[in-house]
Amino acid sequence: MRILSRICFTFLLFLAACDTSTTTNNAADTAMVDISKLKGSNLNILCWEGYAEPAFTKGFEDKYGVTIKATYFGSSDELISKLANGGSEAYDIISPSTDVAGDIVAQDFVAPIDTKAISQWDSLSQQLRNMNDVIKDGKVYGMPFTWGPDYLIYDADVVKTEPTSWNVFEDPQYKGQVSLWDDISNIYLIGQTQGLDKTDKAALYNMSDAQLQSAKAELIKMKPQIRKYWATAGELDNMFKNKEVALAVGWPLTVAHLNKEGRNLKAVIPAEGATGWIDRLMITSGSKNKQLALLYLDYISQPENMAIVLNAINYNVANPGSERFLSADDKKIAEASQFFDKLNFWQTVKDRKKYNEVWNEVKSAQ
Amino acid sequence: MKIWIKKYSLLLPLVIWLFIFLILPYFYIFIQSFFETDSFGKTIPGVSLDSYYRAFSNSLYIGTIFRTLTYAVLVAFICILLSLPLAYWIAFKVKKNKTVLYTLIALPLWVSYIIRAYAWKIILGKEGLLNTFLQWVHITNKPVEYFLYSTFSTILCLVYILTPFVAIPIYTAFEQIPKSLIEAAKDLGAGSFATFRKVIFPLALPGIISGGTFALVLTMGDFLSPLLLGGPNTLFISNIVQNLFGTSNDRPLGSAVGILILLLIFLILAIAARTEKKYSSLKSDAG
Repeated sequence: MRILSRICFTFLLFLAACDTSTTTNNAADTAMVDISKLKGSNLNILCWEGYAEPAFTKGFEDKYGVTIKATYFGSSDELISKLANGGSEAYDIISPSTDVAGDIVAQDFVAPIDTKAISQWDSLSQQLRNMNDVIKDGKVYGMPFTWGPDYLIYDADVVKTEPTSWNVFEDPQYKGQVSLWDDISNIYLIGQTQGLDKTDKAALYNMSDAQLQSAKAELIKMKPQIRKYWATAGELDNMFKNKEVALAVGWPLTVAHLNKEGRNLKAVIPAEGATGWIDRLMITSGSKNKQLALLYLDYISQPENMAIVLNAINYNVANPGSERFLSADDKKIAEASQFFDKLNFWQTVKDRKKYNEVWNEVKSAQ
Repeated sequence: MKIWIKKYSLLLPLVIWLFIFLILPYFYIFIQSFFETDSFGKTIPGVSLDSYYRAFSNSLYIGTIFRTLTYAVLVAFICILLSLPLAYWIAFKVKKNKTVLYTLIALPLWVSYIIRAYAWKIILGKEGLLNTFLQWVHITNKPVEYFLYSTFSTILCLVYILTPFVAIPIYTAFEQIPKSLIEAAKDLGAGSFATFRKVIFPLALPGIISGGTFALVLTMGDFLSPLLLGGPNTLFISNIVQNLFGTSNDRPLGSAVGILILLLIFLILAIAARTEKKYSSLKSDAG
């Protein structure tokens, strides 16, 4: 027992010594010292599918001799659930979207970001940087990473004319060839097609009981058209790949992945508009690797790396400086997405539980 | 006294194991089912029947529990229908290599569930093996969509996964039937079918019931098959529980639904045990 307490005491002394040594040194020195120490460590990222593609993570791994371990979440709710059940300690970086970012900051799941340590901070899109949902008490909790729409994706080999409305999902010609995301966002989609967000964008995220029931009825009516509700982006990729579906709600990465394999997928924003997301990278409050996490944020925000992100998943990136590094094809993708102001970006849904229950009721309806 | 301790001390590891990994978690789930949550899903300890009220008042929960039960009965029934001839054949018709055949039944269990579920995607898809074959022999002229992403594919996969769990107890039951009884039936002029119906089937009933119960209970708890192979209308109760814990983050309601399923399973097990007892006349009569 005595020996044990002595070991503990020595250990504590050691920790204290380490602590003072890092705080007394100046910032630059710490970074230098730590980088060599970081070698061999793991950086755990909990993110949307596509945010840890080797195309851009490999460079970081090689540079610092570390391993990036990615876990994907399939919906914002899944992210929240993981964080609420201890995920804040298990992961270093998360990539929340605008619908839950504010809540995540408010619940102290994430730590403030030292923007000075991110060399490209001032070059990142000002509009995205200034969004106040991730700023609390003057501190910044999220680094803008990507943004994009919830597209209407179609297989141009099957759907010959470009759809102009979301109601193509109800076209009997495409019965059993439509896939929606297994998520409450379908409720926003219906709200949007019903024109609820014409005057107030927030209306989609604060629907009344009557509006929710109407959306539910509409989604149930649509069921015979649906092949399957996709749970992950990878699943949607697979369904397009195996020609199980021809129309879907999805993200640019599906188009990017499939067209690289020689398919002819296209993405449009129909006349009713589309919802969208702005994703920020955040460092969890429980992370034991904050230094490395910050280095990753610095690394990934470099214009040349943001260009690789755009190339790999076709998402719009937060550093406009990346344009110089884009290939001609990628430039076209970037130029085609001049619709930032048109999108209705996800907002906090106050009664997520209700939305989730309505969505489950849609799924259980026979 | 000493002998008593010695005898039961052997049970101790199992008892500790069950206590930590079975009793405690269930107890925790039970307690949690009375909690409440704030709007963010954080549980607030308390004694509230709200979750149970919601579970009963919305057909989403109770309705899905009973629909899943219907699927489970169907799966168990098909598994039994498939297992009976198979087990009969191995037990009574095969003379050599019985162990090899017996192992073959269990062989699929060596491969991961997910891989086997994915294999069905390859077989049943629009451009899958089955549809390609049917079109090649001109039975169909376009892919049958209902094969995949439907309740059909979900049930099919479950039957495939669970048949070994049913076939093995049935086979064991068949093996335990004294050959003399069968010979006696034949001597008294019963044909093969009459022997099966009047002698073998009643004697094997406990094995059939326990196998069927396996399939039934495991289907009640399955969420992977509907998740991977189900269509827009396929929703099992376990998917809802998984959703309540993993997505909606409503752990009290998830726990309450879990407790309701547990009670239903206990009821099924109790009925199964009673029926098994009622029909297990073999030991007392022939034993």
